[in-house]
Amino acid sequence: MREWLPKALALLLALTLLAPVFGWAAGQVGYAEPLENAAEATGATDDAESTVSAPLPDYAVPGLGSAMGTFVSAVVGTALTLLAALVLGRLLGADADAD
Amino acid sequence: MHIPDGYVDLSIAVFCAVLSVAVLSVAARRVGGEVSDARAPLLGVVAAGVFAAQMLNWPIPGGTSAHFVGGAFAAILLGPHLGALCLATVVTIQALVFGDGGLVVLGANVFNMAIVEVYVGYAVYRLLAPYGEFRAAFAAGWLGITAGALTAAVQLGLSSAFEYQLLTTVAIMGVGHLVLGLVEGAITAVVYRYLARARPDLRPDAVSEVAADA
Repeated sequence: MREWLPKALALLLALTLLAPVFGWAAGQVGYAEPLENAAEATGATDDAESTVSAPLPDYAVPGLGSAMGTFVSAVVGTALTLLAALVLGRLLGADADAD
Repeated sequence: MHIPDGYVDLSIAVFCAVLSVAVLSVAARRVGGEVSDARAPLLGVVAAGVFAAQMLNWPIPGGTSAHFVGGAFAAILLGPHLGALCLATVVTIQALVFGDGGLVVLGANVFNMAIVEVYVGYAVYRLLAPYGEFRAAFAAGWLGITAGALTAAVQLGLSSAFEYQLLTTVAIMGVGHLVLGLVEGAITAVVYRYLARARPDLRPDAVSEVAADA
């Protein structure tokens, strides 16, 4: 295990802890992206379809409060991304060995 | 900047998906020889870091909000091809697990955030790096996200849901992200400078030293 890895993992955990804090702060100013503003300006807003098949839609966990749901989503998503990218890295590396 | 399903016409979504798959296949081939055992964990950590950082919505007084996308950041740290694959992983997980960005338009979202932002950001960085890495990283984040927003605006502006109001979508998203992109540029530059100082061995041009270390 490379010596920088534990530090990196601690940093990732710190970021996930910040997620609910930022979520609350963004809610205070009213979260709106330019994409949403463009949709409103052209009347497209109602055409948006939410992805019903997503297990944790909108970074919320059914049964958990908003802050806890955001935190759990952040941990789950960060861990899944770490895993997926590590697998991808291994596959690409395996390609290199095969060449 | 994550487009939900229903916004972009199917033909445009399919076109972008084909384009994204083509570019990512080339990226995977190009990168094949470069992913050493030492570099694979870095890809994982950068991807996870980008995912976690994207969850932080920076509140901007005046009723708007932006989050760091990280395309240029990943490109500078990992190189453009690995950076593109890194962002594509993040955008795909966001869509599949959290419904952030639609499934039909996944190819379009990957194109905007994992391809346009990454490669434009990297090109800007390379172009300006001789004049100072900090400034170059700032411009890369800033212009990279603006470029990604512009291609998103074109996809939306050519779609029926947006009544083909291309000028409106380009103006709102282009100007919006040109302003919000300053946050992206600042985070890209500050975090990159910190990493470059703390861990000079993580820089792309130090790959061989890391490999020799391991």
